[in-house]
Amino acid sequence: MSLPERQTDIGPPHYEKFLPPIVKKNYGKWAYHEVLTPGTMVHVAEGGDKLYTVRVGSPRILSTDTIREICDLAEKYCDGYLRFTTRNNVEFLLSDQKKVDPLLAELKAKKYSVGGIGPRISNIVHTQGWVHCHSACTDASGLVKAIMDELHDYFTTKALPNKVRLAVACCVNMCGAVHCSDIAVVAIHRKVPVIDDVNVGKMCEIPTTVASCPTSAIRPNPKTKSITINEEKCMYCGNCFTVCPPIEIHNPEQDGVAIVVGGKVGSLRTNPKFSKLAIPYIPNEPPRWPSTVAAIKNILDVYAANAKKHERVGEWIERVGWEDFFKLTGIPFTFQHIDDFTFMRDTMRNSAAFKY
Amino acid sequence: MEQTEIQEKIFAYMQQMKGKKKLKEKDIIKKIMEDTSQDKDTVKKALRAMIDVGKVMYSYGGGSSSVEIPSEEYLKEKGLI
Amino acid sequence: MGGKYKTPMLDELEKGPWPSFVTEIKKAAKRTQMADDELGQVEKSYVTKRGYWKHGGIVGVLGYGGGVIGRYSSLPDEFPGIAHFHTVRLNQPSGFFYTAEALRMIMDIWDKYGSGLTNMHGSTGDLVLLGTTTENLEPLFAEYSSRGWDLGGSGSAMRTPSCCVGQARCEWACIDTMNICNEVTQYYQDQLHRPSFPYKFKIKVAGCACDCVAAIARADLSIIGTWKDNIRIDQAEVKKYADAGMNIQAEIIDMCPTDCMSYDGKTMKINDVQCNRCMHCIAKMTKALKQGKVKGATLLVGSKAPIVVGSLLSWVVVPFIELKAPFDNLKDLADKMIEWWDDNAKPRERIGELIEVKGMRPFLEAIEMPPVPQQVREPRKDPFFFWSESDFN
Repeated sequence: MSLPERQTDIGPPHYEKFLPPIVKKNYGKWAYHEVLTPGTMVHVAEGGDKLYTVRVGSPRILSTDTIREICDLAEKYCDGYLRFTTRNNVEFLLSDQKKVDPLLAELKAKKYSVGGIGPRISNIVHTQGWVHCHSACTDASGLVKAIMDELHDYFTTKALPNKVRLAVACCVNMCGAVHCSDIAVVAIHRKVPVIDDVNVGKMCEIPTTVASCPTSAIRPNPKTKSITINEEKCMYCGNCFTVCPPIEIHNPEQDGVAIVVGGKVGSLRTNPKFSKLAIPYIPNEPPRWPSTVAAIKNILDVYAANAKKHERVGEWIERVGWEDFFKLTGIPFTFQHIDDFTFMRDTMRNSAAFKY
Repeated sequence: MEQTEIQEKIFAYMQQMKGKKKLKEKDIIKKIMEDTSQDKDTVKKALRAMIDVGKVMYSYGGGSSSVEIPSEEYLKEKGLI
Repeated sequence: MGGKYKTPMLDELEKGPWPSFVTEIKKAAKRTQMADDELGQVEKSYVTKRGYWKHGGIVGVLGYGGGVIGRYSSLPDEFPGIAHFHTVRLNQPSGFFYTAEALRMIMDIWDKYGSGLTNMHGSTGDLVLLGTTTENLEPLFAEYSSRGWDLGGSGSAMRTPSCCVGQARCEWACIDTMNICNEVTQYYQDQLHRPSFPYKFKIKVAGCACDCVAAIARADLSIIGTWKDNIRIDQAEVKKYADAGMNIQAEIIDMCPTDCMSYDGKTMKINDVQCNRCMHCIAKMTKALKQGKVKGATLLVGSKAPIVVGSLLSWVVVPFIELKAPFDNLKDLADKMIEWWDDNAKPRERIGELIEVKGMRPFLEAIEMPPVPQQVREPRKDPFFFWSESDFN
């Protein structure tokens, strides 16, 4: 069978091909929107046209079977038009209000999770994990599933003071904006890598490997044509493993996850913020990571009980102070919480005013 | 200078460096510009023409991209030989 | 097919209300040996708490160096179906809009050549096809590209740009994010498919300071919509919010970061000279408050994840730029940024890290931007600074 002729550098198809007629007509002319339920909203155009959006969660890993099912639903209820969000939700776009309830009914019958709009949690942005990544030191999809099961009501119904953006990164490379999330899990190593001298010599460029270390812990070792690692300087980031895989950083019994909190990307009210360390280490507990899930639930509950309306997690913590955050959540404060990498100057307290 | 002549120089340089240093596109262009006194666009065009037919190929490893001479095994897998 | 492996660990992850990725892999495993072996290997990872993947090498479609990521099981004898399990990145349409017809076509081809598993979408924005073999890459690419779909970026290259939904469905989008995203994607096709940069370069476009695409946190060039003139107030709509029970004093006035608003129960006033355009009041009272009419974007540069020397959020370099199709002014500025970075960076150095090393001045001079107070939170504290010859004239 002959193949069609390939084309190169054509780029993606133009988005206009995929816009529902109501969107094309009102492009740039939307007046306002209202959140109708945790999973539905309506956008109203200046001329009065109404576009209804129904949002459902997805595990991000989707089989072609499920995508076909989603396509069938889109054809049945929204003339085949749909989109995905940056947080991996599916959005059905309806111009006919009468079809909203029947769509919701069918989604419910098919056990889709409808929600994620407004002051609650949305889908968890995450990475590939053991499913598909060479540098993963936890499984992102499994953690996400376990966390979303526990927090499911905060996706489908319950409200919070403001939206809470969750993320999971399966190593410190952080493919996704984990470093600026309200609550995020990042998998970490805690042991100096083990060097396979023979293969380092064969497979790796020594100068590149030396240069890869952010703490200058790596030196060339001319005797072995390999490298040595200064154990006192190594912070287990794994960047040397990335440039030179025979430097084995994985240590299944010692690898685990850290929890960081208080980040955001929007400029609303306060500046965008990095997430900061809340819990330095929880062991990997597949298949359902109960300690990690419980720790996140605790932080979310304390936030929900203490934050003012519209305060994001980071804004609440900055208002009450980190000393209060650790007191209220009961999370122990450790040496790992004090920055000794790049941000120490900015993070130590230089004031005589603080709380107990 | 004919494009084929530039390409021979590119290939010879890449063979010489094989296993010693992972060459980025920029490294190759810079070296051949020095050796042949051709301008950047001419060398780049010659290199790209080799990449287009699979004489040399982009590779990825150690966190960054490079250009390499493909193995026979890979060319067979791709159906190029 | 399917059911070759017992998966007691993964089966636990089919319980509970959230949709399960395990169920998805099992669906595909009924049809492809790849997905079934994938299921087996992931189960093993759940037992041993480690991954079994290798990556890299020469893998791609002829002429391109991006869009395909080589992936191999490190246990090919145990899981032969995933000895090759390469990732293919298909460049998504701006705003992630699809029709069922287009998506079905993509799935039909993927079922012919791959595992039947996807990511909708990858972190950068591509439609990710998970798992195919080297020999299937050329036919797969011919099938997709002949139907108008191209590959995205990977490696030391321009990465697939992405954007928020923008003016397609949002009243707050100050710029046409989808058009900008599509235009820069088309403009940088060569740099996207043929890795010739020191490292990755990401562009993300957000319509307003809500930044639904996290541009400020994960793009080397972050483009964020903003406006310059006064916020437009509809007092009748303000009253409706109050009548509906909103505590305007507590929720809006007291939360304004610049203390530039007041409300006496009848009239809302904004001292626009003091407003820093944070979007809080507009986002909470979308019917009553509208941005001004002089709209454009702020350009920020440098954000990235922690590797290598810590995370960065993007820095303001151009406080305001008007962006009208075909966005030549933006392309010109982006070209200048990339050229300066390409000329000066070490391998694997992102533009933000390079600016930290070289200083902001040479960067601003390279893109021909003057220093302005909007670029900094505060001026320097120490009395150490450089003087150039040009400063003495």
